[in-house]
This record gives sequence, structure tokens and C-alpha cells, in this order.
Amino acid sequence: MAVTTGNGSAWSNHFFIHFIVAVILLMLGGGYVLIEIIQFGKVQFNTTNEGIFWGFPIVVYDYFLLTSTGLAMVASLYHVFGLEEFRSVATRCLWLAFAGLSGGVSVLFLELGNPWVALWATPLNMQTESPLFWKVLLVGAYAALLILVLLGSIKNRDAHRNPLMIAVGALALAITLVAGAVYGMMAMRPVWFGGEVPVVFLIESFMGGLAFTIFFTHLAHGFDDASVPPEMRSLFQHTLSRMFAISIALHFALHAGRAVTGLWTNAEGFQVWQFLVSQPLFHIALWGCVALPFVLMVLPSTRSKGMVQAIAALLVMVGLLISRYEFIIGGQMVPLFKGTWVQGLLSYSPSIGAWALLLLAIGLANAVYAFAAWKLGAEDQDAGFESHGAALAAR
Amino acid sequence: MAKWGMVIDLETCTGCQACTTACAMENNRLPGENWQDVLFYSEGEYPALNLSWLPRPCMQCENPSCVSVCPTKATYVDDDTGVVLVDWDKCIGCKYCMVACPYGVRFYMDEKPVVEPDVRATYPGDGRRTWNPPYKMPDEHEDPSKGIGIQPKGVVSKCTFCYHKISQAPQGVADLDEDNPETKEFTPACVRVCAPKARYFGDLDNPDSKVNELIAEKGGVRLKEETGNKPKVYYLSGGGSPVVPGERSRRSES
Amino acid sequence: MEEINTALSRRRFLQATGTASALAATGAAVGVPESGHEATSADAGTARRQPNTVVTKNICHQCPARCGIDVYTTEGRVHAIYGTADHPISNGKLCPKGPLGVYILYDPDRWRGPMKRTNPRKGRNEDPGFVPITWDEALDTVAARLNRLRDAGESHRFALLYGRGWGASDAGLQGTFGKLYGSPNVAIGHSSMCSDGSEIAKKMLDGNAAYNAYDYRNTNYILMFGVGFLEAFRPYNNNMQVWGHIRGRKTPKTRVTAVDVHVNTTLAASDRGLLIRPGTDGALALAIAHVILTEGLWEKSFVGDFNDGVNRFVEGRTVEPALFEENWVKGLVEWWNVELKDRTVAWAAGITDIPARDILATAREFGSTRPAMAIFERGAHAHSNGIYNGMAIHSLNALVGSMYSVGGLMNQMPPSYGPLPADDNEYLDDWARNGAWKAMPRIDLKGHPDGYLMAKNMMQEVGPNHLAGKPYKLDTMMFYLTNPIWTAPNGQVWEEALKDVFMIDTSPFPSETGHYADLILPDHTYLERWQDAPTYPFEGYPMTQLRVPAIEPLHDTKYYGDVLIEIGKRIKGPMGDYYRALRDSDNVLRHLAKGFADDPGDNGVNDFESWKEQGVWYKKPYIYRLVRGRFYEWDGRGYNREMSADEVKQNLLKTPSGKFEFRSSAMEENAAWIAENTGRDPAKLMFPIWEQPVHPGGGDLHLVTPKVALHAEGRGHNIPMVIAHLQPTVGGRGEAYCEINPKTARERGIKDGDWIRITSDVGTTECAARYYEGVRPDTIVLPMEYGHWAAGRWSMRVPTQHAGESTVNVSDRVTGQANYYSSKVTVAKA
Repeated sequence: MAVTTGNGSAWSNHFFIHFIVAVILLMLGGGYVLIEIIQFGKVQFNTTNEGIFWGFPIVVYDYFLLTSTGLAMVASLYHVFGLEEFRSVATRCLWLAFAGLSGGVSVLFLELGNPWVALWATPLNMQTESPLFWKVLLVGAYAALLILVLLGSIKNRDAHRNPLMIAVGALALAITLVAGAVYGMMAMRPVWFGGEVPVVFLIESFMGGLAFTIFFTHLAHGFDDASVPPEMRSLFQHTLSRMFAISIALHFALHAGRAVTGLWTNAEGFQVWQFLVSQPLFHIALWGCVALPFVLMVLPSTRSKGMVQAIAALLVMVGLLISRYEFIIGGQMVPLFKGTWVQGLLSYSPSIGAWALLLLAIGLANAVYAFAAWKLGAEDQDAGFESHGAALAAR
Repeated sequence: MAKWGMVIDLETCTGCQACTTACAMENNRLPGENWQDVLFYSEGEYPALNLSWLPRPCMQCENPSCVSVCPTKATYVDDDTGVVLVDWDKCIGCKYCMVACPYGVRFYMDEKPVVEPDVRATYPGDGRRTWNPPYKMPDEHEDPSKGIGIQPKGVVSKCTFCYHKISQAPQGVADLDEDNPETKEFTPACVRVCAPKARYFGDLDNPDSKVNELIAEKGGVRLKEETGNKPKVYYLSGGGSPVVPGERSRRSES
Repeated sequence: MEEINTALSRRRFLQATGTASALAATGAAVGVPESGHEATSADAGTARRQPNTVVTKNICHQCPARCGIDVYTTEGRVHAIYGTADHPISNGKLCPKGPLGVYILYDPDRWRGPMKRTNPRKGRNEDPGFVPITWDEALDTVAARLNRLRDAGESHRFALLYGRGWGASDAGLQGTFGKLYGSPNVAIGHSSMCSDGSEIAKKMLDGNAAYNAYDYRNTNYILMFGVGFLEAFRPYNNNMQVWGHIRGRKTPKTRVTAVDVHVNTTLAASDRGLLIRPGTDGALALAIAHVILTEGLWEKSFVGDFNDGVNRFVEGRTVEPALFEENWVKGLVEWWNVELKDRTVAWAAGITDIPARDILATAREFGSTRPAMAIFERGAHAHSNGIYNGMAIHSLNALVGSMYSVGGLMNQMPPSYGPLPADDNEYLDDWARNGAWKAMPRIDLKGHPDGYLMAKNMMQEVGPNHLAGKPYKLDTMMFYLTNPIWTAPNGQVWEEALKDVFMIDTSPFPSETGHYADLILPDHTYLERWQDAPTYPFEGYPMTQLRVPAIEPLHDTKYYGDVLIEIGKRIKGPMGDYYRALRDSDNVLRHLAKGFADDPGDNGVNDFESWKEQGVWYKKPYIYRLVRGRFYEWDGRGYNREMSADEVKQNLLKTPSGKFEFRSSAMEENAAWIAENTGRDPAKLMFPIWEQPVHPGGGDLHLVTPKVALHAEGRGHNIPMVIAHLQPTVGGRGEAYCEINPKTARERGIKDGDWIRITSDVGTTECAARYYEGVRPDTIVLPMEYGHWAAGRWSMRVPTQHAGESTVNVSDRVTGQANYYSSKVTVAKA
């Protein structure tokens, strides 16, 4: 508790500084978006009726949501499966999961035409055929239970396993699979279509969860490897980074495999892959943000270094955003029945407003997390390791 | 309880776009946001260029993917007519239906205008109306629960088969034919104006309807059968230039 | 909004005009829902009643075709327009332009009322500084000016230019105005900037300076030269109805060959599309004629035959004229001898760039199919050799005997109008009768040896002639439904020319010509006005339509016919009395309708009231018909009364010989003048001959600037719905693309979508290029629509510039046709 109860100025607490920075980002991003929405309405996201219906905001929303579910899965390793090693990151993961969820859902609300209608119209109409119906329901339950678990953790900061987490973990799993199904079921959109897509989402989500766990753990420790408790360091050097490496490898195989299939096939709709592969962004994501971190996490010499772990995690976080973007936009690039009105593949680039939404999501998620770390004990798991807690407080 | 369907004869379609402009007039569509569109394709090299075109209303599928993806049942199939409609009071603007429609026939309101300056700014709206054109349809036709009228903010719209017309048709009529004075006013706008009479509108459940006769005798086909959506719009192609396009966009690579 | 007020006053208005009660009565009496929803709803039982909706009859204004339309008005709002079901042209259908009327009516850029200019300087970048004035002030200003001119003996310096004249109650009043006032320049029509090339070419051959009426429904072959049959050829709506019939439902299916310079919807939908080198259509027609003669395919009952029935038309060999006995034609053998004998398929293939096999196949099909017709418009004749291209093509109709036959060509009959309220001949004063103005040439030198002796109009010369002061300077100009500063070829000259003349524009909308105006006297839009309109050449039988206002005028505007009458009333002397006797356009219309009493229409229209209810008066059938070489007239039951040669000459083949003249008397009469001014061979110039086209402009690519289907006359450019859909074949959304062959483009380093500059000797035009394999490599195609700079908020935002600014102003010396498609330009990346 030394972290939050220190009698010095709040400025001496780096979570407070983190919080302030996050709030500034939130205000910058949110302010820009709100001004745009008030002035122009929700027309500023560079989507069109020609075919790119889901733009960058949906990318950001899904990215944050799936990060959240991935983090919940990581937390479940301790809470559900009892892997004691993960006890030290479980609370952080849950708070980060909630932070990510807030960021994602707020972006969705700003993107949706009538978000408030969704709140009553979705549960009341029981369109069970729609994956989005289930997604809304599951996310609602997930959010509610997650909040309950976190409230519990605020009251009782001894990070005991919480049986509610069985439900939270299951919901996270279900949301991830349904989120994949939202795309995977679309037979009319070949880049998306496929039964493997929910599994792909699951792996990516889990990988993202691990990446965020690694990055934010190092962030919490000021990127100072020495201040990381030895048990945690051990976790990061061994089990966690290996899990991370395996999930990256799976992600690489699935991603590259889809690309190769897409490039090979003549079938209508897959020509998008030729375009995607011709773009630098694809290669930055695949080689720089997937292959490189995999290598870093496989080689023992690099795997053991905290900074390298943090860099690998950051690369994966960025890479995931890019591939999420390419997947969602790419699936819509073939115009359906638009004739000469639309020449070739559709093009899309995020608007300033859409970037502002990303900023907003980052700001909000970080603000939630940093506030929790500052005031609500999100980082109290270190308290169990007295010496390091004291060291932290002293800094 | 009719199952209304449309037959479009590509052999006589002249690609004039009267269906498009009549639809826009009847349904207060924004310019270029065409519930009903005519799509042009070209392939080949000079001088052997094949220019072809395809009129494309909503296919009004029997098994519509847009309906099954809608999380709020805002998009639904009307029991009496078989028409796929959007309830603007329930639509949350998630655009999943737009993503899921294989035929690209759905339109979201909150997009940049195709033609600048925005006509919506010229005729600003009041209250729920996003714009208020002086030529807008009679108030009694407007029905947000069926997606008819001035499209509100944040919702998706689509062709209604001119629901406000066809739903008033006398019971048991086999065809809504613009050349029949008794049914003229109940015929969808795109069918009514079609000068070469390339469009027919009738009850697919009535074996005596003209549409069924044409589908049977002239070999009506539906677009993208592989999606299983079972469109209620059939195309006839007698070998004239307008054809049902192939799977791949047929615009010449440049 | 003012809707509520409009709705209230609408009701009063209906009471006043009796429209509502008349419509209701029709519905009840006839029991057919032509009055709109009411009757249908009542019959249908379950249908929703729509008592607020009123349907009025009108005529579409977007092209010359004159489709009858039903205008739907509810709660004071005009919200729908559909074709009138029992109207012979529209038959309940519409072309894509028909529904645009709602946008035209409510165009936010419309003038709100009469205005005068306050900025004396004129120019593209000068704000006219218009301020509202009263109608009285506006009309008094014009009248004072005209009276002053007349008093000074300079009444010829008043010119009235008009575009789409509709009927007796508007453009029909203009000629009288000029006659009473005393100006040869009242009125100057736009026909030379339209399609006089075909009218005059036809006049040379068959004596009728008019577009033809066509019996498409019964023809089995259509050969089209540069007409845009499924895009711009009027009546477009009916053309498409016919198309559905002859191409989808008729047995046998009508074969169609279309000739153009790029693949448009017409070529794509035809059996054969021939991409021809611009300006060489005549060579193709001559080769077809050559084949028809050498293969003995001509219609002998109409044309005649060799005395002994042996065909002596052999390539390269002359024929003794005496051996051939002509029936309804004149000069066939002479034509063969001086021209046709050498016009082989191989020769034409070289000229036209069309493969010989296609020419031969087309010729054989056309020559051996009856009935067949050859039709043409500007694509073929808006060239330096346009008169001959036109004559060669029209001659084909004689060779296959389609003049006045079933499935052939006819001439339009006028309606049975009653006389006007007053006879203008009784109101001529000395000046009108014998004033010095009578000796004055027209400003455009139409009918003048120094100008265009044989032309009908030469509007494109008005600007340049005024600028040069030859033959004189104008003082005052008035414009009706024409915007020549923009539409004239090389309109930049007009921009300079019209700076020093007092101008009156009557358009309801801002335009470039209006931008130069000193007075704006805005007309109603067509949905707000009463107006008659006899049919454009259609199916031959007489027909005339009526515009009935759907709503009271939205703004303080005045019908152009009434503006003319009101100005007339203010002219001193008997002229004023004449217009007081006319009283107003309503009185004129009612007098016109009196003619129906003795000659009721097929739909029972016999007076003004029934005309108003039905919107159209017509009387089928066309009364003349050629059957197996003999002309017959309808006797009430059939084509039974054979016509004498004299009657044929008087009513049909109005040439000096009373025959279809391959050797044109009209050309021959003017042979000396033609030879002197064009250098043509006086021995051959009276025949349909081949003449190499001349292409001004100094470039290497032909610039062709067609009208497309959505070209709504005079206003399409400012309608967002048009801007979104103008050029669907190449995806022109929001702008018009220059269609360019990819090979041509690559040679010039132009990529698909690049912004390009089109340059000729007279100016430049910039626009985006679109690769299109359907356009000839030696030609670029840019629809004539955009590049307006003072005509409304939407048109000014379209980036495409105006093709007319690179179009050289040259005209066919015989027909006077402005050669819109003859310029050659260079194209480069901008």
C-alpha cells in the first residue's frame, strides 16, 4: 500500500503521472471527436456507402475488446486454472481488461448510429441468429461480472482466486469466439469467411493479452528490470515468454497461411490479398511485429532481458492493431455490385477523427488503469513482495 | 399475403437509369445513394469492347442474410408482402446488414455526400428529419417503422419495393402492372417508369402471374445463388448486351 | 418553411381554376383512375385513400420530346412525376430525366422575381449586383427602350434569341412581335446550334425542312448514324418504349446497326456497332447505296427500275440514264454516274476505318430488309461536309422505299388550333409594313449571300457578328430558354461581345447569359405554368399538349408568353392594340383550343376544359401512306384514296419535281453561290457526294462532345441527382470524364484518372481522363454538360470544364449547322 498511501505529493507517484497523461490524451482525442460529431455528425470516419462500412473505429473497438478478453484469459490462468505463477499479474490483467473494455466500448458508442437504442433493442428483440446479438449480450455480462470481481478486489486486496472468474473467463472466451464468428460467418466476404476465424481470434486475443501483461508490468516497474520481483521476473523469463512465443508462432502460421492461400487462389474476393501484400504495412506487421518478437522471445539471451520483453510486447501490440485493420478493411475492399461507379478495389484511410478515437481509447483505457493502480490497488499484487514494495515506494 | 417479386429483362433494358431517378424521387433518396442503381461493366479491347449493364434493386431475398445478422431485428421480413424492411426506430446503425448483404444494396445515412454541396444542408431538417426537401413524400406515406420517408440519422435504409404503394394493392392481384389502370398506382416506381418495359412486378406465389410466366418461359435467373439468399428478383437475359455479370468485376484492367 | 402558406393558397388556387372539381368529376364519370388515387382507391376498396393528393397534367421540359406527365401534389408539395398513361408519347412511362422535375421546381438557386443590374461592367468575374424591381418597372423599362429604338428608326437593333420554343403561347408569339415591331431579328432560333444539318439535308432531297416522324414500331431494320438513340434522340422515352417492343416482343425482332465514334448504350444494345472515323458517315452511306444498287436491292416500286429489268449498276461503269425509268425519285442514274459507281465498300473501308466485311454485311442487311430506315443526327452532320453526309444517309431511305411507308419515315402534321383572338395583319402601322428595317439583313446573316444563304437560323454567329459590328451593332437583346454565352461553340467570344448590349434574360434560373443581363424577367418553371406545346415530330399524326400548373408559382415570376404580351401592350401604336386584343396567354390558349370543337381528339378533347383534364389532344392516324409505289390518303376507314402526283408534291415530297431528288433542285438553284463560297464542283454539288471533312482546331485528336441521357435541357448541370449519374458507362459520378483510348493516353503519358488539358486554337478545357477501350484511338469524348460558372451552386462545384471552350465555331455553309464535332485538339496531362 506504500504506493498509494505515501504522504508525499501525488506527483511523486508515477501512476498519478500516468493517470494525468492518460487524461490529457483522453481529452485531446475525445475533445476532437466530440467537436467533429457536434459539427458534422458521425460522417467523419471516411467510411462510404460504396463498400467500406466498417472503418478504423470498428478496428479500434475490436482491438480493445479482444485485448480485454485476452487479458481476462491470462488472469484466468491463475483464477480458474490455479497457475500460481500468474498470481502476481492476475489483478493487473483484470484491471487492464476492464480498462481495455472501457476504451473499446466507448469507441463503439461514438461510432454506432444509435448506441442507446442498442441497449434496449438488442436484449428485447432476441435475434438469436445474429452473432452481434450474442456479442452484445456476452459483453454486457462480461462487463458486469468483471466489475464485480474488481470491486471485490478493491475491498479485499489479498489476491485470492475468485470463483466468479470462471464465468468471466468463460465469457471472455465466448466473446472472442463470437467476435471471430461475426466475420467468419460472412460467406459473401471471402477474406473473412471461414470456420477457423474464431480460433484465429482466440489465439490473437490470448497473444495480445500476454503482450499487454508484459508491457504494462514493465511499465508499472518503470521499465526497470531490477525492480521487478524475482518471482515475477522468473515468470516472464520462462513460462510467460514461452507461452508468448508459442502464441506468436501460431499467429504467424495462421496469418501467413491465410495470406498465402489468398494469394494463390483465383476465387473472387481474394484479390485483396494481392493488394495487401503489395503494401509495406503488411510486411511491417508480419516481419517486424510478428516474426521479430517471436525470435526475441525464442532466443534465451533476449528472452531474459526485461527491456527486450517490453519491446517484443510493444511490437506485438502494434502488429495486432495493423493486422486487425488489414483484416477488417481488407474484407470490405471488393465492392459488391457497384459497377463502374467504383473503380477496382475500394480504398480507405482513417480520418483524423478516427485517429482521435484511437487516442481517446488509449487515453481512457490508460486513465482507468492508472487510476486503479493509483487509488484502487490494481498494482497491489506487488505488496505481497514486501522488499520490492518498499523499494518502489522509495523511488 | 402475396410474395412480391420482380423480373428484370436484360434483353430490353436500355441502361437509361430511369428506375434510379424515379426511385430517388419517390423515396426521397440522396443523390448517388441509390436504393436502385444501374451498374455498368466493360471488358475487351478496342474495337471489340463489351459494354454491359445491370439494374440492381434490393433482391428482397427470401432468406436474407441482412435480417439474420441484425442484432435488434430492425431489419425484418414483412409477413404480408415478403418485403425486407428496416425499422428505423430499432436500427442502431451498426451496419452489420450492409456488410452481410451480398448485393450491396444498403445505405447508411451518416456519410459524406456524393455530390457537394450537401443537399441536406440546402434543405435543413427539423426534429428527427435529417433534411427536409420541399419535394418530400406526403406525410401519410412516411413510416419509420418500415424505413419509408426521410432517412433519420444513424440508421440504414434500403429499397422497400415501394412498400407504401404495393401494400395498398387490392388483395389477390397477380401482377402490379403499370399499364393496368387498376394497379398503376400500386406499382413500384422503378417498374412504373421503365420505358422499354424491362421490369415486371407480381406475386411469385400466384402461378398465374406474369412474373412466374416470364421466369418459367424465359429462364429467370437470380444473382449469386451460391449465397443461398434466394432473391425474389429474377433476371432474364436473351443474349442482348446487358447481361448478368460474371463473378469478377468486368471492368477492364487499366 | 412556406409550405403551410403554399398549401392554403393552393386550395384557393384550385377553387379558382376549378382543377380539383374537374379532376374529381373525371374520376367519377369515367371510373378510371387517371385523376390519380381517388378512383382507384375507391374501386380497390382496401386501398388507402389519398384525398390530399391532386394530379395535374403537364409536359416534361427536359428535352424536346414533350412527354405527357402526371404531376402529384400533396399538401402543397410536388413530390412525384409519372408519365401520363393515355398520352401517346409517354404512355405512362418516363426517361431518367422525367422525375427530375421536382428538383427543377424547387431549385434553391431560382430567381425570386424581376431584377435589374446595378453594376454596369460585365464579365465573368463581375458581380451583376442584381436588385429586385417590380414587374411594372421591368416591363416599362423594356418597352421604353423598344419604343425609343423604334422612334429612332433602329428597331432592327432589337434581337430576340430563343432556344426551346414550345408552342403558340410562347415562341409562337415571337414572329408576330418582330413583324409588328419591325425587326428581322425577332426571333432568332437556336436550330443551327441544334440539328439543322439534318433538316436542311432532308429539305434538299425531299423538300421538307423538318425532322422526320418515324414508324419505329413496324420497322424491321434501323441503321443509325450518330444519333444516340438510347441516350439523346428524341423522343427518348418513346424510343425506349419502342426499343422494348421491337427488340424484345416483336416478331421478327428488328435488327439494329448503330454507327458512332464510341461505344455508348446504343451501340452496346444494338446487333452491330460500327466505330467510324468522325465525319465520314457519308462515305459509309454511299458505299451502302453502292451495294444496294449493284446487288439490285433497291425498292423498285418507289425508285423505279431499268426498262428491261436488267441491272446495269456495275462498279466503275456509267449507265445511260434513259435506260432507267424513275418512279418517285429524280436523278438516280446521274448520281450513280457522278458519284456512286466508284463508292465501293473497299473505298469506304479506307475512308471510314470500318472493316469492309462489316460495311458489306450492313449494306446487304439494310438493302434486303423491309421496312428499313436510316436515321441520323448531329454525329453525322455536325461536320464541314455535314450537308453531304446527311444527304447520303437520307438517300438510303428513298432507295429502300421507306418514305411514308409502313415502318418508314413521315412528316409531322400540325394540330387543329383555332385562330388567335386577333389578326396581326390588322395591326400593322407604316413602320411595320414598309419601315427601313425591312431592308436590313439579320444580325446572323441568315439568308444573306455574305452569310448563310440557305440556313434557317445562325444563332452561333450573333455574338461574333455583333462584336465585329457586321452587319451592325445590336442595341437590345432578349433571351428565351437559351444561354448562348455558354452553349455557343467558343462562347468566350460571346463573353466579350455582349458587354455593350442591353440584355434581358427570361430564364427562371441563373445562367451565364443571365450573368450578363441588365434585366431579369424570370419565367415560371414548367410545373407552374399554363403553356401549349404541339408535338415534336413523332408518329406523324397531329397532337398538341398542355401544361397545367401543379401549384401556384413559388416566386414572383411571370410566364414568358405574358411577358411578351405585356411588353407588346406597352409599344406605341397599333401594336399595343394587338396585344391588348390578345389580352393574355390564357386567352390565347382558350382560342387555340376552340379549334378542337370542329376536330375533337381521339380521347374526346374538344375544348379547353377537356384539354386541361387530359393534357393532350391528338388525332390518329397519320393520313398518308405509301403502298407498293403508290401514295394513299386515309379516308376515315383505311388508306384507300390514291393521291395524285400533284397532291404528293403539295403534301409530301415538296420538291420542285414532286419527287425525292437525288439531284437536288434546291442545291442546284444555289449552285453558283455554293460553288463560290465552298469551292465545290458546280457539276456535282447537287448530288449526295463524298467530301473529305475539314477539321479546325490545330490538334491531332477529334473532340466529340455528345449529349447523354441525363442531359436535362438547360438545367441538368445544377441537379445533384444528375451530377451523381451523368455518365454511367464510365462511372462519371460527380463529374464528367473524358473518355480516352488507353493506347492514346499512354502515348501521351496520361494515366487513368489523370487531370488533363484539352487544347485547340480557340481555348482549353480541363477535366479528368478515363481509360475507355470503347472510344476510337483518334477521338476523345467529353459529354457537353459541365463547366458552368454562373448557373447555380452545384454546377459551379463540378470540376469538369466546358468542352465548348475548345470547340471552334465553324458552320456548314449550306445548312448553317454549327460543327460541334469537327474540332481537333491536343491532349496532355494538366
